[in-house]
Amino acid sequence: MVSADYIKEVILAGLPCDYIDVQGDDGTHFNAVIVSAEFSGRNRVQRHQLVYQALGDRMRAEIHALGMKTLSPEEWAQQQG
Amino acid sequence: MSIQDTIRQTVTENPVVLFMKGSAQFPQCGFSGRAVQILKACGVNNFVTVDVLADAEIRQGIKDYASWPTIPQLYVNGEFLGGSDIMYEMYQSGELQEVLKDLAN
Repeated sequence: MVSADYIKEVILAGLPCDYIDVQGDDGTHFNAVIVSAEFSGRNRVQRHQLVYQALGDRMRAEIHALGMKTLSPEEWAQQQG
Repeated sequence: MSIQDTIRQTVTENPVVLFMKGSAQFPQCGFSGRAVQILKACGVNNFVTVDVLADAEIRQGIKDYASWPTIPQLYVNGEFLGGSDIMYEMYQSGELQEVLKDLAN
């Protein structure tokens, strides 16, 4: 079964992240908060595409759903207030 | 006509198209159901839905079309806007209402 920690590792291996948190314990549905400098200047669709790219075809097939919040470091800092 | 051409024609000939699992009345997946609710909350009721479960070619073809691996997918005036997460974020920030304001009915 795919674990949240494993997804986190796979994403980190393919995408440099300032912060990443992946939650989910049913093996198919996950939620992630990802902060990466790669997201700066990219729209939401492009950001999610970067994450899907990092996950690769095999992982995409195994995960039914990955909810994503994607932030640039600047947006992340703003959110932290 | 190739499946990619069929998809292109569908999204350009209809202002709001949602590729989803099931129908607006009977969504077959929570994420598709949420996407329908968000569109309705934006005042859009005459959107076109395409049930990907009814056609395996469309189901794969739409993933290739937008380089996007998941369903639902929302298209407005031919442009891919995002899946259910992005729809929800845009709805919360008011961006989606702005994009759809001339299409609400």
